[in-house]
Amino acid sequence: MRKYWAIFQVQLLNNVAYIGNFLAGSGMIVLFMFIFAQLWRAAYSATGGGSIAGLRYEDVLWYLMLAEVIELSKPRLAQGIAQSVRDGSVAYQLTKPYNYILYQCGVGLGDSALKVLVNAVVGGGMVWLMVGPPPDPRWWPLVLLLVFGGWLIYFCFTVLIGLAAFITEEVRAFEWIYQKLIFILGGFLIPLDLYPAWLQPIAKATPFAQAIYGPARFFVTPSWDRFGQALLGQSLWLVALVALLAFAYRQSTQRLAINGG
Amino acid sequence: MSAIEVIALQKSFRTKRKAAGLQGSWRALWRPEWQTVDAVRAISFAMEEGELLGFIGPNGAGKSTTIKMLTGILHPTSGHASVLGYTPWQERRALAYQIGTVFGQRPQLWYHLPAIDTFHLFGKIYEVDERTIKTRIGFLSEAFEITELLETPVRKLSLGQRMRCEVAASLLHKPRLLLLDEPSIGLDVVAKQRIRDTIKRMNELERVGVLLTSHDAGDIEALCKRVIIVNHGQIVYQDKVSALKRNFLTDKQIDVRYAERLPDTFHLEGVEVVKLGSYGAKLRVDTKTTPVERMMTQLAGAGSLVDVTISDPSLEEVIRTIYERQPMAMAR
Repeated sequence: MRKYWAIFQVQLLNNVAYIGNFLAGSGMIVLFMFIFAQLWRAAYSATGGGSIAGLRYEDVLWYLMLAEVIELSKPRLAQGIAQSVRDGSVAYQLTKPYNYILYQCGVGLGDSALKVLVNAVVGGGMVWLMVGPPPDPRWWPLVLLLVFGGWLIYFCFTVLIGLAAFITEEVRAFEWIYQKLIFILGGFLIPLDLYPAWLQPIAKATPFAQAIYGPARFFVTPSWDRFGQALLGQSLWLVALVALLAFAYRQSTQRLAINGG
Repeated sequence: MSAIEVIALQKSFRTKRKAAGLQGSWRALWRPEWQTVDAVRAISFAMEEGELLGFIGPNGAGKSTTIKMLTGILHPTSGHASVLGYTPWQERRALAYQIGTVFGQRPQLWYHLPAIDTFHLFGKIYEVDERTIKTRIGFLSEAFEITELLETPVRKLSLGQRMRCEVAASLLHKPRLLLLDEPSIGLDVVAKQRIRDTIKRMNELERVGVLLTSHDAGDIEALCKRVIIVNHGQIVYQDKVSALKRNFLTDKQIDVRYAERLPDTFHLEGVEVVKLGSYGAKLRVDTKTTPVERMMTQLAGAGSLVDVTISDPSLEEVIRTIYERQPMAMAR
């Protein structure tokens, strides 16, 4: 395990090398949160204040803050993997004595760790200024655990999409579809509780909701019950996704043809 | 013991064939035509431990494909290979601890970080303990003259400097075998020479076996004792580099200069005039049919000789000769 930790550290360093670029990226969350704040203020004043589907205005903003942090900090490995398959540099990564998937995991965590921190501080600070303090901090360790679970779900998806390059070379289309599914079913724009009653259970059962809605909803209205549900949902999906990933990886390496001789 | 043993190794790729234009794309979508390309055709060879073996051939000859099967990342279509006692594609990770690889066209060092960071990372990946890796980095950075480059981000290094760091990185875990795929590609003459010298030294110092592919005959000439020439996935020649020169270097190239003007009809028996100038000429002689002595007498008799240079053809020309004498290998 030490080697994967080392990979994580090196990737983290690699990102720090471009710290300016990194901080500029956190401008996204400022923009998103500003728009959401205006949008939901209008929605809440139209309904005459109070709560919508059991959520107050500040709940919605804190929910969206965490949803944004998760989404904006997610691992983006698909393009990198696809690129290395296309140009053949994947050959290098496969001639080292480590597990390729765990190697990618180290790289992905190295990318995300700093982003989560920066986005949470910037986004959280902003929401705090707008609607007051965040939900009960005693639950935060569990929130973090669910955020990590969500990260793992994202990780499986992004690597699966990347591995598709072994077959299709180009993976942009898959990424596009995946992104839209997250937007619609993950609860990234609207808390899923505000969806029509028939759509809610469908959306909530998807892995996208387990990655975003689960942790974010637990963050604003924490309870052991909610935590148990979110954890169970994530675990079930992770078992399935990890199995799929292992299968896809075996298939990919067996049909590997290195481009460019 | 052999470091590498390859028996009838074969790799075929299936690629889709597509006619030109939109219509062709449309047809390929519905009724794809598959074409099988034999990148490596039943090659067999062996390499001793600690040997410096050259693997040369033109682009697309199957050199890289062979190397990639030997590292275990490509599964062969058929045939056997044993590298340091492992079957590469079945025991890739176990084998990885014993071999070092450099793919000249693909950097392995982290691009934005100084090489020293990647070196330490590799130390951890290869499970070398901290103390050993420090000594090793010190030793290699001296051998490769990269001590003062280690702390510069890799992206700021020149190609030659980067290549020295790349090869050093591949030796960190003291591999028994080094697989170098085009290590000198894109380098200038001086940088090439430096890389070659260091590889040779490491081979002498640590007896690390080196299998080197290149399409630069100079690499092989400078480094290897034995050479395998491949073309179209087949071995067309396999022997000592010196034997290669002896057998295929019977042609000599001669440049002569005379004190007086040469007639337009300048001609010597058994000597081919490649180029004729007013005072000098470029000639070619096959020493098997025209012995050097007879040729020299003729040259001296043709006028008052000012200068004469006799040289061997380059290895590139030798390879061309081999190809020309092997029409079967060329035909596809």
